[in-house]
Amino acid sequence: MNFLEMRTYPTTDTVDAVVVGTGAGGAPLLASLARAGLRVVALEAGSNRDPEHFVADEASSDIYWLGERISAGMPEAFGANNSGIGVGGSLLHWGAFTPRPDPRDLRLRATTGAGVDWPIPHADLTPWIERVEGEIGVSGPSPYPWDPARRYQMPPVALNAPAQAMQAGCAALGIRTAAAPAAVLTRSWSQPDAPDRPACINCGHCHQGCRTGAKTSMDVTYLPQAVAAGAEIRPGCMVHSIERDAAGRVTAVVYRKDGVDHRQRCAALFLCAGAVETPRLLLHTGLGNANGQVGRNYMAHVATQVWGTFAPEMRCNKGYPSSLITEDMIRPADADFAGGYLVQSLGVLPVTLAAQVTRGRGLFGQALVDYMDGYNHLAGIGINGDCLPQDGNFLELSGETDESGMPKPLIHFTYGANEKAMSAHAERMMTAAWEAAGATDIWTCPRAAHTIGTCRMGDDPDSAVVDPAGRSHEVPNLFICDNSVFPSAMPANPALTIMALSLRTASAFLAA
Amino acid sequence: MAHHPMTTLVCLSFLGGSASGWHRMFDRLPAGFEPLPVDLPGFGAAAAIPGYSVTAMADHVAAAMRVRAPARWVLAGHSMGAKVAAVLARRAQDGEAGLEGLAGMVTLAGSPPGPEPMQESKRTAMLGWFSGSPVRNQRQARQYIRGNLALPLARPHREQLLRNMLPARVAAWAAWLREGSREDWRERIGVLDLPALVLSGTADADLGPAAQSRHMLPHLANTEFVPLPGAGHLLPMECPGAVARLIAERFAPAAAIPEAYLALINSDRVSTGTRAALLERAAAPPAPAPSMLSAAERGSLRAVVARIIPQTGPGRIDLTMQLIQQLSGPGDGWRNAALPADTTAWRTGLRTLDALAKGFAGRSPEAQDKLLQRIAAGRKGWFSHGQLDAAQMQAWFEDVRAEATRAYVAHPATFARLGYSGIAYGGDGFGKPGFTEISIGQREAWEPV
Repeated sequence: MNFLEMRTYPTTDTVDAVVVGTGAGGAPLLASLARAGLRVVALEAGSNRDPEHFVADEASSDIYWLGERISAGMPEAFGANNSGIGVGGSLLHWGAFTPRPDPRDLRLRATTGAGVDWPIPHADLTPWIERVEGEIGVSGPSPYPWDPARRYQMPPVALNAPAQAMQAGCAALGIRTAAAPAAVLTRSWSQPDAPDRPACINCGHCHQGCRTGAKTSMDVTYLPQAVAAGAEIRPGCMVHSIERDAAGRVTAVVYRKDGVDHRQRCAALFLCAGAVETPRLLLHTGLGNANGQVGRNYMAHVATQVWGTFAPEMRCNKGYPSSLITEDMIRPADADFAGGYLVQSLGVLPVTLAAQVTRGRGLFGQALVDYMDGYNHLAGIGINGDCLPQDGNFLELSGETDESGMPKPLIHFTYGANEKAMSAHAERMMTAAWEAAGATDIWTCPRAAHTIGTCRMGDDPDSAVVDPAGRSHEVPNLFICDNSVFPSAMPANPALTIMALSLRTASAFLAA
Repeated sequence: MAHHPMTTLVCLSFLGGSASGWHRMFDRLPAGFEPLPVDLPGFGAAAAIPGYSVTAMADHVAAAMRVRAPARWVLAGHSMGAKVAAVLARRAQDGEAGLEGLAGMVTLAGSPPGPEPMQESKRTAMLGWFSGSPVRNQRQARQYIRGNLALPLARPHREQLLRNMLPARVAAWAAWLREGSREDWRERIGVLDLPALVLSGTADADLGPAAQSRHMLPHLANTEFVPLPGAGHLLPMECPGAVARLIAERFAPAAAIPEAYLALINSDRVSTGTRAALLERAAAPPAPAPSMLSAAERGSLRAVVARIIPQTGPGRIDLTMQLIQQLSGPGDGWRNAALPADTTAWRTGLRTLDALAKGFAGRSPEAQDKLLQRIAAGRKGWFSHGQLDAAQMQAWFEDVRAEATRAYVAHPATFARLGYSGIAYGGDGFGKPGFTEISIGQREAWEPV
């Protein structure tokens, strides 16, 4: 993005706030604070790019967080599977799938006895979600079948071949479907203090970075707005130390840029680095963890996929990759588990899919080569399912350090009985849908996705890391805003909620 | 269609051997390889050619290559022939005219650049051979063959070997034993950069794996080393299938992008950055970082990768070299906690695989598949310190599969094979066309089939 007119602040100044991370958690609040006249600096570990230079090539795409994470348990894959790097954070490569959280999912414990409830009422969250949708541009069906009052500001994306197959398969099973809500424009869009954005061209490369700006990412929305309002964004800056005064308040952060350490003094600190890097930094600096809760309650979505081969060409690389949704499984009637899941159609590019085929189906040799030769006939269907926190699922620091000088994170994550039952239910449902859609050679790819939890939001200082406004229970001028504060995973993809919480946290901070 | 250059495999024989000894191996080479045995002075078809020093032998081969001038050739030297091959490789690397197309070298039970390790009593005894009666000569030839074979060789093949040994000139025989094998070319050959493959039989008395490690490998910067389990000294005869397969896997030319797909890559539907990434990937990968994997580990890795992604066409993607490059890169962002850091895991995994197979790369593809299936099922590992156990082997092999598969599918020649259109949604600047025909069964006119 364009930094030419960007205001800069000397590191010797005490700025009003430092924001670590420029993704869904950091960008909206950066814009809010800057608009309120605060002197704010965002520190981003990755580089600043021109979206035109993103490549239509999975193997050389460089927008993924490749700092090594050690994965114990299932294990969950990191890297391109869930974390991005660069000005714009993970929203550079996100899928832009924006279902809203279901009211029942914020009250899972109250309604099922399992999991944890959010300390925020759904009715409190919804206005923030609507505001985000209005600011970033979200397309979707109006009315929305599972929330008839809901309206989207532009018509939904076109259904591609996998979506059409899922539509047919679900219809045969009596399952309702609709075009997916997506932070993808279907008509051109003008926004204040940020570039005009065109409608989506169905290129299918959301995960390699949107070169046109049709997909919402922070570098084409909130970040230019933040810069226009006086914020400074410093790319290539990896924060590794946090300094405090005798009272325990944060006074400065120390970051490494091009191998040299710099100190930025600040009156408040917002950690928005995601559910791995945020707790890693807190554990490394020993901050905000007197109750031992930092790193606890790590969750990942149950992200099981079912793939099949279709007689006609599907060419699932074309079109918005997840252009169809059903929310009928948010609370399935025959569920033998708490919570539920969203189902979406899947187009996956060949390199990512091939790795899934060999990891998830175990194919190798001629069988693998033959399978990939059929790429143009493959299509998938997949879920995003809730995940209950468990004591055994947590993030800690490993004994190995990386080039930042910080220990690499070690993430323990394994499905519990609830996730296993949910995945099995989804496998049955999706297999039936794919059979009904005419697919052959149907197989299931076990998979977990997204990084959630580790700095839980809650009213109780003993069990939560931050309060419902995102402020540390322990360090009064430390705030966290990213998917680490989620008390529960919820089936809805996290980014929309993170952006809403970001605006909400900024509002609470400014009101205080 | 993709155009792949023919690779001429120039074969130099062992002491006493000649062209016919290679034929069973030649029969097993895949399409794209054209065998060219060149008999060395004093042996076979060159029995009448004088000049038995290593230099004279190399001159003889160089002259033959100047006449044939293949565009792309690989030099295979068996035993004595390997020393000649190394000299020629040095001359080619130094820019000698007529040797330009040399693309690689394989040594089979190779006699090293330095003096060949040989017991003096054996040398003395052999010096007296082939100068008596025909019956006696034949008995000595039989003894020589028997002494150098470890794997069984069917009687007709033994007899053929015997028939073809006897036309050897005794002077050439003695010259190698007395002088050629003792010539010291270590400094003159130095370290060769060309892609190389070192093969040796584990039952070879003098030129087995230990001798190759000590005397041959230090001269080869970019080599892979494969011990052939149970084989003796006469590798092209004892295990012609394994030799042919290993040569093809190591030296097949790089897979070319079919012309129609290349035209798509070069069209304005593809961005400058995407085009550069694809064409760079299609170019032959550079030599491996020297310390990342040992020559033996690289040889084992190539064998594993060949079972994960079997490539049978005339052009092949060098996935092994790409994986070796990746090991020194940033990684994929995570690793299984059950495994040590990537390079350590890969080295240990390859060593464990070799221990389980007692030499993985030299085993038959069927035996390799069987072992890999058991590893994939978590049923095969090692339980001593410094090796990977069954669960670790399972996790490691999954990683190797994923990386090899990603490298294979990411190659533009594979995109062409898949008929993949994703790279071409739009080029540089405004007005990217994207896709409009995205329904089931729809294909835009320009999309590859």
